[in-house]
Amino acid sequence: MRAKLSWSIFILVSVIFGFLFLAPLWMVVKGGFIDEGRFTLAYLRGVFQNPVYTEGLVNSLLLAIGTTTLVTLIAVPLAWLGNKYDFPGKKLVSGLILVPMILPPFVGAIGFQQILGIYGGLNIALGLGPIDWLGKLQYWGVISLQALALYPIMYLNASAALANIDPAMEEAAANLGCRGVRKFFKITLPLIMPGLFAGGTIVFIWSFTELGTPLIMNYTKCASVQVFDALKEIGTNPFPYALVFVMLAMSVSLYALGKFAFGGKAYAMQSKAATVSATVTARGLKGWLVLLPFAFVIFVALTPHLGVIATSFTTPGSWYQSILPQDFTSANYVEALGHSMTVSSIRNSLFYSVLAVMFNTVLGIAIAYVVVRSTIPLRGVLDALAMLPLAVPGLVMAFGYLAISSYLSNQDWVKEQPFWQNLLDVRTNPTLFLVVAYAIRRLPYMVRSAVAGLQQTSVTLEEAAANLGASLWTTLRKITIPLIMANLIAGGLLAFSFSMLEVSDSLMLAQREDFYPITKTIYELFQLIGTGKYIASALGVWAMMFLTVTIIGSSLILGRKLGAIFRV
Amino acid sequence: MAVSIRFEHVTKCFGDNRVVDDIDLTIEPGELFFLLGPSGCGKTTLLRCIAGFYIPDSGKIFIGNRDVTNLAPEDRDTGMVFQSYALWPHMSVRENVAFGLELRKVPKAEIQQRVAEALAAVKMTERADYKPNQLSGGQQQRVALARALVVRPQCLLLDEPLSNLDAKLRLEMRGEIRRICKQFGLTAVYVTHDQKEALSIADRIAVLDKGKIQQCGSPRDVYKTPRSRFVAHFIGETNFIDATVERISAGAIHLASPIGPVTSTGTPAEPVEVGQKVTLSVRPEVIHVGYEPPEDAGNVFDAAVHDTIYLGEMAQHEVNVMNRSSGHAGDVKLNVFDMNPKIVALDGERQLAKIWFRTNNVVVLKH
Repeated sequence: MRAKLSWSIFILVSVIFGFLFLAPLWMVVKGGFIDEGRFTLAYLRGVFQNPVYTEGLVNSLLLAIGTTTLVTLIAVPLAWLGNKYDFPGKKLVSGLILVPMILPPFVGAIGFQQILGIYGGLNIALGLGPIDWLGKLQYWGVISLQALALYPIMYLNASAALANIDPAMEEAAANLGCRGVRKFFKITLPLIMPGLFAGGTIVFIWSFTELGTPLIMNYTKCASVQVFDALKEIGTNPFPYALVFVMLAMSVSLYALGKFAFGGKAYAMQSKAATVSATVTARGLKGWLVLLPFAFVIFVALTPHLGVIATSFTTPGSWYQSILPQDFTSANYVEALGHSMTVSSIRNSLFYSVLAVMFNTVLGIAIAYVVVRSTIPLRGVLDALAMLPLAVPGLVMAFGYLAISSYLSNQDWVKEQPFWQNLLDVRTNPTLFLVVAYAIRRLPYMVRSAVAGLQQTSVTLEEAAANLGASLWTTLRKITIPLIMANLIAGGLLAFSFSMLEVSDSLMLAQREDFYPITKTIYELFQLIGTGKYIASALGVWAMMFLTVTIIGSSLILGRKLGAIFRV
Repeated sequence: MAVSIRFEHVTKCFGDNRVVDDIDLTIEPGELFFLLGPSGCGKTTLLRCIAGFYIPDSGKIFIGNRDVTNLAPEDRDTGMVFQSYALWPHMSVRENVAFGLELRKVPKAEIQQRVAEALAAVKMTERADYKPNQLSGGQQQRVALARALVVRPQCLLLDEPLSNLDAKLRLEMRGEIRRICKQFGLTAVYVTHDQKEALSIADRIAVLDKGKIQQCGSPRDVYKTPRSRFVAHFIGETNFIDATVERISAGAIHLASPIGPVTSTGTPAEPVEVGQKVTLSVRPEVIHVGYEPPEDAGNVFDAAVHDTIYLGEMAQHEVNVMNRSSGHAGDVKLNVFDMNPKIVALDGERQLAKIWFRTNNVVVLKH
């Protein structure tokens, strides 16, 4: 590609990225360190001296550690089994095992509460009497829900890493007398470690700053909920800024550690293996034994969501002191679609997500093109920049956007012009900020998809077109984009589904009812006394059905390569 | 110390495909034994059966006197060099080589010494602390060899160990491999599809096709007296001529063929009788081209030489033998390798000359 064009795209993308990604982060840093134009560490010190904040941070860390550990324990054995054995129903469970990823844990939490509540299904089923599981085991409740939603990320990474190992690596160990568990820990595990670390980093950062689940589970003593509660004072109180900065710093350091400790890459295998695959076919009883853990994990992971579905069909008030709902109705769905808030929220979410994906597609192709096809020296920097949103928690970004909006809306030129007010003040209209937030957060998936596509597409195909007289633009339109279409669709679907059920940005940025996206509506409905919980569940089921279809679609298009999208 | 390896009616199927078909074979102690054949002939499968990565569907495998047929790979005490080398990328060269010794609970001091010796034997001492990814293909290959040798295995198994190297390194390494095998007195089984590799360093070669051993013998045996069309064709180049046995006298077979009468004094693959249809194999390099054949030339024909490919030290000609009755060039086309060539026929030119080959260079094969 011509250097001049590469540089223009590079500069353009950097500027856009600077405004949309770095500016909000700068607002966070500024809010936490600048006091009336002067640099101060007082707020930061204040965060660590305030026992409430330190407890919140420690609890958030514990949540992240617990979640990541659980995720590893669930995902790695499953991935190992899936890589080693062929068993009946493998195709089906390999798809189903990914479904929980797309069902937001915060929706599952509603069903979870129905099942584990004082008068919920579990206590009644086991005849335990009114035990307050959720009160006693709040921490375990939150990490279980998060782990059951996030394990697919680890599973995909571990599977990809295992599939990448030349079977001869393990055979060579066996040949020298190394067996069983020892072989796994000495050879297999070290070889897949980069993959596990990549997945683990994402899970850790995700659970460290997850807002929806602790909020619904009423686990308020963690940093993310504290930040959410402090939003009302965003203009006046500097401590939330400092707190958010601490979370940002911790996430970025972890990301950097993962990136530099392992170079973010798997060990390159010397050459393609001579033996195609080391997969063993498990027949009969053995096959069922291998299938069992998959079925179990899928069942447990989907239980909260089954709870949501059950709740959605429950006549309000009839699931109380009983194992299952006593009285079923479809009225909740009717009401969900009739409720003014829900219909507009579905429309809003679709609108925001579609805009975000369009923005992402253009930006993603531009970045991927420079990264893969140009030779300019800074293309590696651009690649790393585009991946950075993975390292920055959604909560931090949302807070930063809110801070920008709060700052801008106090400027006279914004106050006086309704046009600018509509665009820039989230209290008036959050559309711009929500679209930008959705887009930037999911940009890495789009870039990775497009980069993978371009890398698999030989540059000679483009050169052939150029040789026949096609301009750069024609080549892109007629050759390159059609060739990487599968990747773009998959990346786009993924970005779209995540945007549809995005939690932190939605909860924090949407402040007027007529602009609520689906997730915020579910949260608000959930808090309504009476029928709210049931309507919220019905809306949740609509969303989940929708997303299950999309994720299965993208999984069919990308197949095993889906794992590559979740790499740091 | 060296042991034999014995196969008794070993069969291995993948689905309906009999990849190894009823193999009976004994590899002698200390022998450098080659399994040679085209891809898909079952040679790698047979090797992996020795290593224990495949369990035969039927038959038995012995290493020494031990029946290893159903033993796990880790209990067999074989040293294997993989085609992809399979060096563990997360360990240094030294750690890779020391791995097997650590598993065998060899004392630390001895491990150090033996690793040093093994690396010295493959001339890799200076790269001991490198990671495999920092090494070239040839260096990786030598580390893989050291890793397999350092545990002093009962036998060494090599799975196309040189196929990922460039031509020059291949030449160098094959000599090295033979030197090391003989130095350690190892029984070694070497899988390859490269006949030059096999002919140059093997003690014995088994030529495989469709899961069966087609012929087993020393390199000279296999090359000079192939016992089937497949072997003659797979190893080296050859000309096949259809013929009929006319007369059998003491030590010689006289045949009629499209190029005229031919006499063979080589030992036929199987006994023949008068009137039987057979195939003759005559290698291109045993056919001479010239104008004055010597007295004892054996089989001599008038021929037209054409389509020469000139290669300097030699030339490759295509030759049509003249039909004795009509005087025109016949249909049978022979390839001839002519050392220090004097006749060159280029661009459709045809030169009349004589060709001859000695009677002991004519191999009689079953039709």
